[in-house]
Amino acid sequence: MNSITTKNLAIAYDESIVVEALDMKIPYGKITAIIGPNGCGKSSVLKAVGRILRFKTGAVYLNEEDITSLATKEIAKKMAILPQNPTAPHGVTVGELVSYGRFPYQRGFSKLALNDRKIIDWSLEVTKLSKLEHRFVDTLSGGQRQRVWIAMALAQQTDLILLDEPTTYLDLSHQLEVLELLRDLNKKQGYTIVMVLHDLNLAARFADYMIAIRDGSLICHGTPDEVMVPHALKEVFQIDAQIIKEPRTGRPVCVTYDLVR
Amino acid sequence: MGSTGRQQKKKNSKFIAVLLILGILLILSIIFSMKSGYTHLTFHDLLRILLGGGSDKENLVLFTFRLPRIIIAMLVGAGLALSGCIIQGIARNALADPGLLGINAGAGLMVVLFVLLFPTKTALSVFTLPFLALIGAGLAAVLIYLLAYKNLEGLSPLRLILTGVGMQVGISAAMIVLVILLDESQFNFVTVWQAGRIWGASWKFVIALLPWLLILVPYVFFKARVLDVLGVGEEVAWGLGVSVERERRILLAAAVALAASCVAVSGNISFVGLIAPHLARRLVGPGHQILLPCCALTGALLVSISDILARTLVQPSEIPTGIVVAVVGAPYFLYLLAKSGR
Repeated sequence: MNSITTKNLAIAYDESIVVEALDMKIPYGKITAIIGPNGCGKSSVLKAVGRILRFKTGAVYLNEEDITSLATKEIAKKMAILPQNPTAPHGVTVGELVSYGRFPYQRGFSKLALNDRKIIDWSLEVTKLSKLEHRFVDTLSGGQRQRVWIAMALAQQTDLILLDEPTTYLDLSHQLEVLELLRDLNKKQGYTIVMVLHDLNLAARFADYMIAIRDGSLICHGTPDEVMVPHALKEVFQIDAQIIKEPRTGRPVCVTYDLVR
Repeated sequence: MGSTGRQQKKKNSKFIAVLLILGILLILSIIFSMKSGYTHLTFHDLLRILLGGGSDKENLVLFTFRLPRIIIAMLVGAGLALSGCIIQGIARNALADPGLLGINAGAGLMVVLFVLLFPTKTALSVFTLPFLALIGAGLAAVLIYLLAYKNLEGLSPLRLILTGVGMQVGISAAMIVLVILLDESQFNFVTVWQAGRIWGASWKFVIALLPWLLILVPYVFFKARVLDVLGVGEEVAWGLGVSVERERRILLAAAVALAASCVAVSGNISFVGLIAPHLARRLVGPGHQILLPCCALTGALLVSISDILARTLVQPSEIPTGIVVAVVGAPYFLYLLAKSGR
């Protein structure tokens, strides 16, 4: 079963076409990483799937349902999306920001019900933020802040989370911390995770499934072992890469590379 | 769960305390405002007149002149403050306000045109004024929106503000051109309107303004949660299930209607829409469910106190209320700019 399917998807900013005729399948219950060079359209694809960006032609299916036929609030109960580097308004606490995740379930004057509170507390617990609940978001470190956004997405009670470069601006250990949190969510809570990742080796280490895009077209897809091969990376990134099996995780890793001349 | 609940309760009781204090200050300002002016009234006089024991002259001063003016000042303060709060929320910029965006100016242009064409203040004209102001403000807002809107990218808050500032300057220029065409009394009216003198100080104007606020204010409170979520940015808001473009348009329309109906009777009082949300945010934080009522009270208090000063500082003459607000507001605005630059 597929969580997301795109058919003949085309995305354009004004007249310049970024993505053309993209057919992509994202498997249910897996961690999928979308990789590709700068400007290849990977973020645009994620945004179009997350209905943040209006696509030009084609279709996006969420659990086999056409996304344009669903109300945006209904989609928010099925799919959470975190853009790259979101910023919290000044003076918002961690607890408040996470409570925004309950928005799709609230109407008008309604206050947070007991059930909403329970879900917020659970989201804070899973992301190890319970102790920081009353801190202001803008006083937290980058890694903590990213966990707050993930907690907000969890409070939406979806089974699918899309993330655009969740590790940007984080140092090595915080990158791992965020990605391990996402892996836990996938393994223990059954979340389907889709993320755009810059770092090939991190993508290969954490993803079950990889999708490589260049110039808005799907170049190859499959398990990390299928995608992390020299001829594929040559086609996608124009690099001549040397791939080995990394001894600790058993995942493929690019140890060195040169530009293809 | 336990700690969450306790903290939440503590926070709520702080919010209630803030609202109560603002409410008490507002009542004090009303009492003080009723006392002061050209004819000074003591507490004793005030009580006697309110209980029906006033002379004809005293009744005239209190019930016909002062009370409607006090009420107008409060309503206008609350309305402009809420309008500013909404616009700051959708623009995600703390420096936005209806005055800055040219919405007040658009309303003003229509009011001025109307007064030029129909110089008599008949009952009918009083009730048509808010509508006319709305048309002017609405046209300005639509124009700003269209200019700031880019296909596929949507509305950029920064473009919104820049276009708004441009619009405001443009309309002010148009006003100056109009002023050349005026006779002396009309000229006076326009200058006084621009300076923000509460000119529509009678019960007729209260009745003309009140229905607008009675509809718009609850509606805006109803949208508190949407304003919260819009504050985290367009993309996150989409992800949370807000139809960003639609909600923004609706909220902008509400803000425009609030500002227009207020400005129609009060003249161009700027800075309230800027300062009140700021003060309110410092008092209760960014959550709109509590921020909006706090903001309305702060705005009402601000204009109410300014109006007392406007009527008493240079007796027997009076300063336009908008000038008093601006004298307080401009330095505060600069202070904010300096602070946000750091």
